[in-house]
Amino acid sequence: MNYDVVIGIEIHCELKTKTKMFSGAPTSFGMKANTCVNEIDLGHPGTMPAVNKQAVRYAIMACTALNMSVDTLVKFDRKNYYYTDLPKGFQITQQFHPIGSEGYLDIETEAGTKRIGIERLHMEEDTAKQFHLDALTLVDYNRAGTPLVEIVSKPDMTSGKEAAAYVSKLRETLFYLGVSDVKMEEGSMRCDVNISLKPAGSPVYGTKVEIKNLNSISNVQKAVDYEIERQSKIYDEGGKIAQETRRFDEATQTTVTMRLKEGSVDYKYFPEPNIFPIQLDPQWVKGIQENLPELPDQRRARYMNEYGLGSYDANVLISNKELSDFYEEVCKVAKDGKIAANWCISELSGALSKRNETLSTMKLTAAHLGALINMILDKEISGKQAKEVFEDVLEGKDPKEVAAAKGMKQVSDTSAILALINQVLDENPQSIEDFKNGKSRAVGFLVGQVMKKSKGQANPAMTNQLLNEELKKR
Amino acid sequence: METIKDKAYFKGLANRLMFDLNDEEATSIVDEFATLCQQLELLEAVDTTGVEPMVYPFETPTVYLRDDEEDHTISQEQAMANATKSLQGHFSVPKVVK
Amino acid sequence: MTMLEMLKNTENTEARILEAVEKAHEAHEKLNAVVTFIDPAEQIANLDQYKEGAMAGIPIALKDNVNTKGIRTTASSRILDNYVPIYDATIVKKLREAGAVFIAKTSMDELAMGGTNLTAATGPVLNPYDTNCISGGSSGGSAALVAAGVVPMAIGTDTGDSIRKPASFCNIVGFKPTYGRISRYGIIPYSSSLDHVGTFTRTVKDAALSLEVLAGRDDKDMTSSNRPVENYLAMTKGEVAGKKVAVIKNIVDAIDNQETLACLNNVVEGLKAKGAVVDYVEMDQQLLRAVLPTYFLIANCEATANHSNLDGIRFGNRKEADSSEEIMMKTRTEGLGSQARKRFVIGSYGLFAENQERFFRQAQRVRRLICEDVDRVLNEYDVFIAPASAKGATKLNEPAMDQMSDAYLIVENHMALGNFTGYPSITVPMGMTGGMPIGVNLTGRAFEEGELLNIAQAIEDVMNKVGE
Repeated sequence: MNYDVVIGIEIHCELKTKTKMFSGAPTSFGMKANTCVNEIDLGHPGTMPAVNKQAVRYAIMACTALNMSVDTLVKFDRKNYYYTDLPKGFQITQQFHPIGSEGYLDIETEAGTKRIGIERLHMEEDTAKQFHLDALTLVDYNRAGTPLVEIVSKPDMTSGKEAAAYVSKLRETLFYLGVSDVKMEEGSMRCDVNISLKPAGSPVYGTKVEIKNLNSISNVQKAVDYEIERQSKIYDEGGKIAQETRRFDEATQTTVTMRLKEGSVDYKYFPEPNIFPIQLDPQWVKGIQENLPELPDQRRARYMNEYGLGSYDANVLISNKELSDFYEEVCKVAKDGKIAANWCISELSGALSKRNETLSTMKLTAAHLGALINMILDKEISGKQAKEVFEDVLEGKDPKEVAAAKGMKQVSDTSAILALINQVLDENPQSIEDFKNGKSRAVGFLVGQVMKKSKGQANPAMTNQLLNEELKKR
Repeated sequence: METIKDKAYFKGLANRLMFDLNDEEATSIVDEFATLCQQLELLEAVDTTGVEPMVYPFETPTVYLRDDEEDHTISQEQAMANATKSLQGHFSVPKVVK
Repeated sequence: MTMLEMLKNTENTEARILEAVEKAHEAHEKLNAVVTFIDPAEQIANLDQYKEGAMAGIPIALKDNVNTKGIRTTASSRILDNYVPIYDATIVKKLREAGAVFIAKTSMDELAMGGTNLTAATGPVLNPYDTNCISGGSSGGSAALVAAGVVPMAIGTDTGDSIRKPASFCNIVGFKPTYGRISRYGIIPYSSSLDHVGTFTRTVKDAALSLEVLAGRDDKDMTSSNRPVENYLAMTKGEVAGKKVAVIKNIVDAIDNQETLACLNNVVEGLKAKGAVVDYVEMDQQLLRAVLPTYFLIANCEATANHSNLDGIRFGNRKEADSSEEIMMKTRTEGLGSQARKRFVIGSYGLFAENQERFFRQAQRVRRLICEDVDRVLNEYDVFIAPASAKGATKLNEPAMDQMSDAYLIVENHMALGNFTGYPSITVPMGMTGGMPIGVNLTGRAFEEGELLNIAQAIEDVMNKVGE
């Protein structure tokens, strides 16, 4: 039987603020346990929340990039439950008045661009981190109170590929905004997928299954694909889908049951009495919205229009923001964006992976790479020479100096090259004979001889052309 | 249908708040609840059509947001000072079953 | 001695503090008012540092829900029996900088949930005027220490009438200013939208002086006000010529205690004699009868969440068990008193998704209507007044009143109006009834503490004249 697949995604994303959502203690990753806290994060009696301005700014940036409307009257609510990682016994969140609502994100699919609706974006605080030992659970409250945004999509996706494309696009967008590290493996971005199947065309939704804590984009796709298969099979066999929370099991590449959902939990949400509604200054909000960093889509379009890059090259650069930012710097010097892109994508990326380094650890500067590219364009050195020079440029050296030190220059002077050619032709009558007999290989040999005589400095293209002309004269 | 508000009901509510009520307490809450219900009728009798809930004593919104600057952090020692059980700078409980 | 009198005499400050400590121990023997005594040695050593402060060298007491760094703070609950705060409440910093010297943490109803002080982990606080009677609550220990002459000022908190009722029972001035006037940061809460910090003093002027020290914006409490702190003491003149005072008729009508009514009449005639205009004003009876359930729901719905942090894991009196869930369960069952647990159950009941509209939200709606009715009165009058209670402090084991009578619903609960609105409210002694003290309560407009204190001073002046 054919089924319609209905997928909605909830993303939790830690914001990259200096301090917590409601306290002035530092946010942290990988610090000594319980050293990035104060009494507020530990939920001590009598403590009260004070809302972090930067977190609100980041939330507004995210809302804007996701085409959402921003509620300038910020309100918070309490979500009540008991758990060891929740210091106050409630989480401060925005249940009733999310800061952002009704937006979308466009993703690329095989069938073209598809618009995925986003229902809401709200601010809240993270919980503590628990470490489970054999008999004990240890709790570290460093993470408690870290600002989060939760972004809830509409159930607009229909396949693992679309789900992965959405998460990937959202991740890229938030990363370009600079509001989050979006490291799924480290948990600064967490992804829960809701998925249900219904007979094709049916208006009635099937039972929803939630897959929690997917820690990579490829796992999002794998988990959804597996889940579609699993649910289809159950329906095909006339079975029923249990309303449950599942997780993706890396080892078996399947989803497995975490817990059954018995009815819905009553979190007894109510407005947080300790935070009066906060009226944001419309000018402040406008200023944030009008000064967003360039988003990936905008940058992609610019690369294609301004630098004439093809969509493949543009995408390769965009998908690696560090490389893309470096490329922009190279382009400030380099006269040709397309050639600069080639160098960044192949030579540079190749060198990085070969050396097992990143751009930030390299001594290479964008200005030097730009200059090197210009030397090729200006025919100062050959492409082959450039690759040799590049090895030293990677070490932070100036390409002009490297080329000079190596005595490299490219001879593009016609008469000088012609002199060499005639010298070589005089020395190799047999090769002229071979050429006349149709052995084209002879040309390559002769070019090689010219290059040798020029100590590699003759412009190879010119040499090739002039040699052909001279051969015909003989 | 209204649930019967007997001792078991209130004991159940208590457990959802992570504590028990003993028999005596449950009996007294059942009694008190009867009185409370009478008082709640006084509340429910008030016509509040079109009236917004009043969450805060004053409803002029605030404009204050805290600047994202570290103000104070406490030491691990202070953080753990009131903990009965700790291990290597962590609060410790028997293993949490997920 | 009052605080103002003490401030005039800057010699022998140390002796005065040590005398207060001694008196505190004596009073505690009799009244059971103290949870923790604070050794003042270190503060005495630092007296010089704060000698320019507005309360330099004044011994004071703090209700035990005020967090004091390094000094045990229990909120009179077993669950916090071993809690030693790692931070100071904002008011503790302010008082210290003003030169006040803390000598005791005082008993209260457990987690401030009560009006009798019978639910304190350390047992009832007794009334200095008759030790068979209650001090009133929830700030009973603070009221008793001021009334017993141990300290000239003590901090209390007030969610329904927890300062103003015990002040009435103990013959002293109990004052809670406007919501947001004093920071609540570091005060162990009861109900965040109703909680106020305030003072017990023996005179209105001491209340005014205390407010000057305590008031002011605190960025750690987002609900605290940015309004400038005024010179309240200078405004406390007792000049009421032309001032308009409303006596709430519904409350008076529901009182049958003639002595109390006579006391009130004294106040009214005294104010009139000083040139005030006093009228009997009717409020909406249906709304007044709904004050208690409105209060009870809002307070306990908020409280059940506020105290969900009491699980024994990061602080508090943890009870060991085999799982973290059982630890929480055992810690909370054994650590929280019956009354507190029952109130949490009711609060939680009112918050359930299926009940919230009908109860918690309805209470919040009725709160608005009640506040609008109060505004109707205060649009025309500078303050409204009524007896703080129909009678003096009740006996320790007195049977409960008829819970549906106006005498209970209205007369004994009307002071929550000051918490619903957040408006400043003060109780001033107005005489004796049945051999026990009784106070009159005044409530004024938001952030007009100066005017409220001024009129309260006039009443104090009237009473002093009667006393002569």
